Amino acid sequence: MSDCDPYNNDGTLAGGYMAERRWERARGLVPVLAAMLSGCAQKGFWLFHPKGAVARTEWHTTILDVAVMGGVILVAGGLVVAFLWRYRAGNRARTYDPHFTSSLVIEVLVWGIPLVVVGYLSYFSVKSVFATNPYNPLAVRQAVDRAGGGLREAYGERADPTVVDAMGAPPPATRPLQVEVVTTDWQWVFIYPHQRVATVNELVMPVHTPVEFDLTSATVVNDFFIPELVGEIDIMPGMRTKQALIASRTGTYHGYSDDYSGGGFSWMGFRARVESPQRFRSWIKKMQAQPVHLSYSRFRQLARPTINLSERISRFSQVQAGLFDHVVERVMEGRVYPTPLAMTENMTKPMKVRLIK
Amino acid sequence: MSKMNDMDPAGAVLWAPHDAEPDMIATRTLGFWLYLLSDAMIVASLFASYLVLNHRMNAAAGPTAGAVMHPLTALWETILLLSAILAYGLSLVALKRKDRRGVLAGFGVACMLGLGFLVMEGHEFADLALRGAVPERSGYLSALYTLVLYHAVHIVFALLWTAVMAVQVARQGFTPNVVYRLLNLKLFWFFQGFIWIYVFCFVDLTGALHVH
Amino acid sequence: MLVHYPGPWTPLLGRLALRQIPYQNPILVWTFVLVVLAGALVVGAITYTRSWTYLWREWLTSVDHKKIGVMYCLLGLVMFFRGFIDGVMMRTQQVMAVGPHSPGYLGALHGYLPPYHFGQIYSAHGTIMILFAITPILVGLMNIIVPLQIGARDMAYPYLNALSFWLTAAATGLVMISLFVGDFSHAGWVGLIPLTELAYSPGVGVDYWIWAVQIGSVGTTLASINIIATIIKMRAPGMSWTKMPIFCWTALSTSVVGLSSFPVFTAAVALLSLDRYAGTHFFTAGLGGNLMLYTDLFWIWGHPEVYYVVLPAFGILSEIIPTFSEKPLFGYMTMAAASIAIGGVSWSVWLHHFFTMGAGPGVNAFFSIASMLVGIPTGVKVFNWAFTLYRGRVRFDLPMLWALAALVLLLTGGLTGMMLAMPAINYTVHNSVFVVAHFHNMLNVVGFACLGAINFWFPKVFGFKLDERIGKRAFWYFSAGTAVLFGCMYALGFMGMPRRLDYIPFPSWRPLLIGEEIGIVLFLISSYYLVKQLYVSIRNRAQYRVSGSDAWGTARSLEWLAHCPVPFYNFAVQPHINVRDEWAWRRQNGLGQTAPEHYEDIHLPNNTPIPLFIGVLTFALGFGLVWRMYWLALASLIAIIAAIIARAFDDDPGQTIPGERIRRIEAGLAGVLEGRVATGDVVVGGAVAFETRATKAAPRARDA
Repeated sequence: MSDCDPYNNDGTLAGGYMAERRWERARGLVPVLAAMLSGCAQKGFWLFHPKGAVARTEWHTTILDVAVMGGVILVAGGLVVAFLWRYRAGNRARTYDPHFTSSLVIEVLVWGIPLVVVGYLSYFSVKSVFATNPYNPLAVRQAVDRAGGGLREAYGERADPTVVDAMGAPPPATRPLQVEVVTTDWQWVFIYPHQRVATVNELVMPVHTPVEFDLTSATVVNDFFIPELVGEIDIMPGMRTKQALIASRTGTYHGYSDDYSGGGFSWMGFRARVESPQRFRSWIKKMQAQPVHLSYSRFRQLARPTINLSERISRFSQVQAGLFDHVVERVMEGRVYPTPLAMTENMTKPMKVRLIK
Repeated sequence: MSKMNDMDPAGAVLWAPHDAEPDMIATRTLGFWLYLLSDAMIVASLFASYLVLNHRMNAAAGPTAGAVMHPLTALWETILLLSAILAYGLSLVALKRKDRRGVLAGFGVACMLGLGFLVMEGHEFADLALRGAVPERSGYLSALYTLVLYHAVHIVFALLWTAVMAVQVARQGFTPNVVYRLLNLKLFWFFQGFIWIYVFCFVDLTGALHVH
Repeated sequence: MLVHYPGPWTPLLGRLALRQIPYQNPILVWTFVLVVLAGALVVGAITYTRSWTYLWREWLTSVDHKKIGVMYCLLGLVMFFRGFIDGVMMRTQQVMAVGPHSPGYLGALHGYLPPYHFGQIYSAHGTIMILFAITPILVGLMNIIVPLQIGARDMAYPYLNALSFWLTAAATGLVMISLFVGDFSHAGWVGLIPLTELAYSPGVGVDYWIWAVQIGSVGTTLASINIIATIIKMRAPGMSWTKMPIFCWTALSTSVVGLSSFPVFTAAVALLSLDRYAGTHFFTAGLGGNLMLYTDLFWIWGHPEVYYVVLPAFGILSEIIPTFSEKPLFGYMTMAAASIAIGGVSWSVWLHHFFTMGAGPGVNAFFSIASMLVGIPTGVKVFNWAFTLYRGRVRFDLPMLWALAALVLLLTGGLTGMMLAMPAINYTVHNSVFVVAHFHNMLNVVGFACLGAINFWFPKVFGFKLDERIGKRAFWYFSAGTAVLFGCMYALGFMGMPRRLDYIPFPSWRPLLIGEEIGIVLFLISSYYLVKQLYVSIRNRAQYRVSGSDAWGTARSLEWLAHCPVPFYNFAVQPHINVRDEWAWRRQNGLGQTAPEHYEDIHLPNNTPIPLFIGVLTFALGFGLVWRMYWLALASLIAIIAAIIARAFDDDPGQTIPGERIRRIEAGLAGVLEGRVATGDVVVGGAVAFETRATKAAPRARDA
């Protein structure tokens, strides 16, 4: 039932100031509420069900913050409601004292209580910032530690990106998997530099293994987000950002862009599959046998404005070495993948770009 | 507890005998100060942009500050501009004596020197552009041109304003309306000098020192 | 120097061509028909009642702070309606376009809005609501109330005041005309960079956005200058800083915030326009641009802008709650201090709008703590309002209901605000509808406060109250709509739904989207009652007329010393201030009816059409720049400068209203209040309350 908390919040929010008669009027909403509650049971609340260490830390921080702030809000709101009730004009029994307009004790309390609460939350904020820092999340490191002491060193040392693993060798569980993410208008390209394979709109990762992402965009700003696994990080053209996660359960999750990037933004999703190490290894093998290779010139074709309506997945092997850096450098030198004028002018026929159905 | 609201009503003064009209010139000058504050925020944003973009990466393999700055030219420009401001300031000394001719003479000198500043700066940037260092070349040059030309546009308006005031002084003499405009224009001129000092220090001088 | 852009260009019309008129789009065609019909109706009504001269002399050329304030509020309410319709369209699209099998209409794959049209609607919604609805309403309220509260005759610079308004109106005009000529930006009210660059937005939409917000922000900066100078220079004798009504404190704090932050916005948008017009590389991804520079500059304005709208709302609550608690505001000094503190802290929190940028944990931690600090003065305010109720006599009049609901919303908004201030939580809900729910929650605090303020001060300006029964109905539907719509939206945030989706890929979000749509229906019902409230109140204004200067019987600050409706000169004789709640003190000590012994001459400025002209020219300038009709832009710019110079040569001596005439008007006003028929100089409720300056004073000015 914890899924349904927001509705309860909603109810409290309403109950604060809404008279009973509104409930009478609201009776018609009951079937809808039921529908909403059933929606609740569908486990759509991805943030409530984290499947990775980073997402879990973020969710626990949320719970803590809501608990603390909820307490303060309840006190303040309770005070308001109690005073409203007791000192309503119709209540003859109450005291009326228009001279009670300041009090040192109360002033100290009303400045002091928020100060203490903010101080307390600040402490947890700083702690959780480091735990979820996209560039080096301590939460991932701790998860690795819990899995086995010796893994710590391996994770602490960043893999040398110039070293290319032996073809086909699975990443050892101790070593983070490197994935490079390039967004285009409006698709996702995931490059596995050490395995020299790449996919479009599908991200496959082994479970219980740290995964480190380098992200850049060929066009405009996007946001990388897999609600159940990890929070957001901006993806910016001509720049590189980083993110890291560790998944604790196999499964298929939804990832998508969270920052508006133009006409195809709504369709800019990808499948994030978390597999067992064995299956991941065989997936890599299969990938490396793909007939289509990914060079920069093919990437440029790929990066033409495209709306991938069905999240169709493309797979590539023999990825050009250093493709990610090449994309970043070309963008810095001024390469753009312009949006066609016809798409942004004529509103009745908007789909003037490549559509993948 | 609420002393602020307890006062003996007997004998309290309820109405002001006259409208307490604030001093017109002081009010107008205050407003102009506030305008200058807002303009200073724009300049601060432009400076911030310049400082962010004054980096080798943002020169995009084009010229960097060290290559485009001529501190000696900038020094002559500084002297011209500050002399123009001084001339305007001195013309307001004539205002104290109610000396119309003195004020107008000061305006004339200020305008000539200001025009000289603009010509010199225009020459400097035209030269730069002809050598290919146009604002479209790189983020750094965009910031440089924008910052300096924003100041230059202000000088153009200062000259225009001074010309208008010359007509007003000649036609109307020193009425309160003319006087407050003269005082505000003084602030405006000084403000331009103030910005220029920053441009000179942080764009020209440090630019010349930078060897990227 | 000028940049290359796709599409044809002609010297006369620039980029404008017939195909830019969206005549194939039935939605826009019907909107156009409706607008033309409504416009014809208004024009017809004005012509029928022969009010053109009246409109011109009393309103369009007015420099009276009350009239300008009313025009600001009217403009804001009209734009609020437009922004609301945009919101309805967005929600409806989202509820229709769920899943790959949802049908599409009017050329859309799903729902009825193609992505680009949807992008324009959400961008227009945000831009309009923040810059052209809430901001004008608040500036209008400050315009009306601040001079009255400090006992001034007008703002410090009445002419500049009119100019600020007409610049805002010109900017609004640009937003409105983008509906029917060309298109609007699709890059959000924040101008998402580098989506706003020419490569990714080659049309004129972003240009419309640029020039509308640019002109509007100049107008608001000038308004801030005016309010600061008014409060510093124009306070009545005896009104020390600590005797100033609290709303003035928030107005001062908010204007300082506005004055110092809007220019940064001006700079950011100006640099963006250079990128689009001159081909510079400030914010491009390549060739040395730095796109995060735009994001920083934008939010260095954007966050203070949030407090720019929230602070006056706090001021409004601080006026309404004591009035209906029959008690002075609790902790006046700390309330003033908290207002200044909020304004100050607002400057050091902007980075929390992009915690996900990838800044180091140290940077994020700093801005996290700074953002949480805002909670302290805000918490102080909530507690102080609570203790204002304590030992009071609380009445639940309509303004009080709006204020209390705003207080409740502030609590929930504070809860979610504290969540967003923590980067670890922010990573999961940034750019999701959770953020949208949060800031709608907070902006609803402002909206509720504005509606409370309009109900509260309406009789002060017009002499009659707004209908309480219909108003309460509007209130309850509005509150229910807020709770349902934004409650569902918060929940959707926990489901991970991004904002600005025009197609919903996950059917699991549908039930809550339906919930949002129900909220929208409640808002629609509420807006019906709001319009009805206004209409019924104006039609039956005689029955809603208030007697005496204090419409609520328990008001406290100085504006309630002036008549309802306020005559054009505000106070017949400038009051001398003795205590903080001057009117409450006078009322309680039986001095409320004490009239001045004799009336002095009053000096006021004359009306002038120049601000209106400059507004029209600025509109032409913006339109010329949007379509790159450079001749039009240049001609308008020269004309604007010429108008400013011409004004400098037209020293307005103003007009003097003889004390004798003031005495007669005052006697007449007293007559109106006693129910006797008004004649001559006397003004009657309704819009005629403003029947004032030029019509009556002009002949006398000629005599003199």
